[in-house]
Amino acid sequence: MPLYDKAFWFISFFLVGVLFASSTSFSDTVFIAGLVAIAIGAAFFVFGKKWLALLSIGIFLGSGYYVFYDVRTRDIAIPFDEKTTVTGLITKVSTGLEKQSLVIKLNDPLRGRIRVTAPRYPEWNYGDVVTVEGTIRRPDESFAERLAKDGIFGTTIFADIKLVRSGEGSLLKSKLLSIKHFTESAFRRALPPEKAAFLSGLTLGETAEFTKEFRDKLSVTGTSHLVALSGYNVNVIAESIMAALGLWFSRRKAFWFGTTAVALFVVMTGAEASVVRAAIMAFLVLLAEETARAYSFRNAIVVAAVAMVLVNPRILRWDIGFQLSFAAVLGLIYLRPAIITWFNVSKKPGFFHWRENLITTTSAQLAVLPILLANFGSFSPISIVPNVLILAFVPITMFLGFSIAALAVISSYLALAVGLVANLFLSYELGVINFFSMLNLKWEIGSFGIALSILYYAILISGILYINRRTAKTNVISG
Amino acid sequence: MSFPVKRTSRRLFTAFVLFALLDGIIWYVISISSDSSFLELYFLNIGQGDSELIRFPGGVDLLIDGGPPNGKVLEELSRILPAGDTYLDLVMMSHPQLDHFGGLIDVLKKYDVGLFLGSGRAGETAAYDDLVRVLEERNVNYLALQEGDVILRGDDAISILSPNKRNLASKELNDTSVVAMLAEEDFRALYTGDIGFKIEDELARSYDLRADVLKVPHHGSKYSSGTKFLEAIQPQIAVAEVGKNTYGHPTREALGRLEDAGAAVFRTDHDGTVLVEVDQGKFSVFRSTR
Repeated sequence: MPLYDKAFWFISFFLVGVLFASSTSFSDTVFIAGLVAIAIGAAFFVFGKKWLALLSIGIFLGSGYYVFYDVRTRDIAIPFDEKTTVTGLITKVSTGLEKQSLVIKLNDPLRGRIRVTAPRYPEWNYGDVVTVEGTIRRPDESFAERLAKDGIFGTTIFADIKLVRSGEGSLLKSKLLSIKHFTESAFRRALPPEKAAFLSGLTLGETAEFTKEFRDKLSVTGTSHLVALSGYNVNVIAESIMAALGLWFSRRKAFWFGTTAVALFVVMTGAEASVVRAAIMAFLVLLAEETARAYSFRNAIVVAAVAMVLVNPRILRWDIGFQLSFAAVLGLIYLRPAIITWFNVSKKPGFFHWRENLITTTSAQLAVLPILLANFGSFSPISIVPNVLILAFVPITMFLGFSIAALAVISSYLALAVGLVANLFLSYELGVINFFSMLNLKWEIGSFGIALSILYYAILISGILYINRRTAKTNVISG
Repeated sequence: MSFPVKRTSRRLFTAFVLFALLDGIIWYVISISSDSSFLELYFLNIGQGDSELIRFPGGVDLLIDGGPPNGKVLEELSRILPAGDTYLDLVMMSHPQLDHFGGLIDVLKKYDVGLFLGSGRAGETAAYDDLVRVLEERNVNYLALQEGDVILRGDDAISILSPNKRNLASKELNDTSVVAMLAEEDFRALYTGDIGFKIEDELARSYDLRADVLKVPHHGSKYSSGTKFLEAIQPQIAVAEVGKNTYGHPTREALGRLEDAGAAVFRTDHDGTVLVEVDQGKFSVFRSTR
């Protein structure tokens, strides 16, 4: 077995181990993972796959790593369920229409992060040190794991918050955040509120200002992913920049411009972990198109994934954005070509790239379906239609969005003029979402467990393998 | 060798189309923003709180209060003002309570504001400090109004009836509300903030309060809209600005007194945003729902 195959399988087993440990709640997860690894290893051994048998130890190591990380981050000191006053640093602020949600890292002698829900005003900022007087509770079980992913183990509402001093925290991060805030306020000034919020969602993945009605509409029409910052959005930015620059520059130069754009985008959105992950995934897609070598690409994906998982192993199971990016990237790389072969699709992009968008959307949607079902409990059977109608205009809308931000640096009136053009595209996109949300076609699914997901992916992968094998055969015969 | 020429002309063509598009949009905006010749009084549906917009003939805007900080006032304004209009001539705060000024912070961030008006009474909450900060950041001047001041615009006059010096220092923040009478030749409208019986009676004693339209004081609290006050006003239309709340606003008591006074009562939680359109003394009422 060549080295790159060994690396691929070892990392894959490691990821399986992490997933296993984060999905089960045995008291002795590592021990059971060890048994699973031995069982799988034995099975490979029986079938004569000695290397795979040896590498399956990755399952054991992966779950061990997860448990180690879990124990270490759960080492907290937070006074729960009593009236208390704590001091800490605000590490994250998300501002909604009516309230703010703050993540506060507690100061010594306390340890850990809490989430504080505060009124819309007074406004709090990253880097503020504050005292919080209130009662800290353990989060409800339904979202405890998702909060734990971000290292948050307590929540409080209606607390009394007082500023101690501001300007703490990382200087770089606060500079990056001020760029993001500038962009958001440029959108707000140039556009009506609903459109400004949608544009913030598309370009920055910022959805805090969405109304509940609007969130429901996105969910009903299967378009929530447009504003969930995933590798896909970042990829759209890079692709459209590359396409535009491709008129002037060589492919390779355009590729580097695309990559630079991705980097700038990361800066613009405040370089949050989720954005960095999305950007890495997007970069991989660019790289795959550039090199067109599936094997090296396969390794690139697992290496990127394992790097992110090593930093925070909880994301594999609990970060929807990561899962969506990861699955969508795999869908674009493996499923898309299979669909093109199977349906013998024409290579022409079609009017406004409808054919390209249709195939891309279908591949990505098929690849992420179990994740959507498991997390949102619903699926829109017609989501392909609004997606194709909207996706064709997403790159130009995003481009106009960034133009608004860039021009606002010079003059708010220039930004306003471009805002009028962006307004037209946003009206169209929101019109499509409104229209399809009125049809209200949605399949509610009670629970979609991990077993069904595994079955689904097994069928999908078998399908791809079958098509690929058949194509290979046809090539041999015709060759 | 003809390729570069073709490319240049294509670029020129693209540039031409872009400019034509931008030009078209600008003219479109100019054409739709041709301002109405009516006086328009809007009572905005912004939840539990107050927010009223007065559009004078010729498109001069006065926004009184911004409701609570929930983003609704921006939504309402973007529906009323033409696309691309980001200027409000005057913004007035009746008194520094969150359900009146909270939305104004958002307004000041988004809109260019000519002048900020208030009673001069400072708020007591940390959120009020945010309002002051954003006024400074956006370089908007604050002008304090008191009883006796008048704002003139064409044929329209806005007279400030309250607070006087004594009431401005009141412990009860609601009593410091700016009360303003908008008058043109054959039409009057009274804006009352959150005043209660005490200020109402003082005003009924000192002024001719007759008005066609009344902004119901304090969201229809049972301690406002007293009989004497309403008898002095004789309103034809009364608008209560309310949303979901735990105070029981608008109260049965206040609504009963308003009906007894002969007023047609509109409330923003049922009727949505209410518009009173005034043309030479005659007026029509529109509501955004039902």
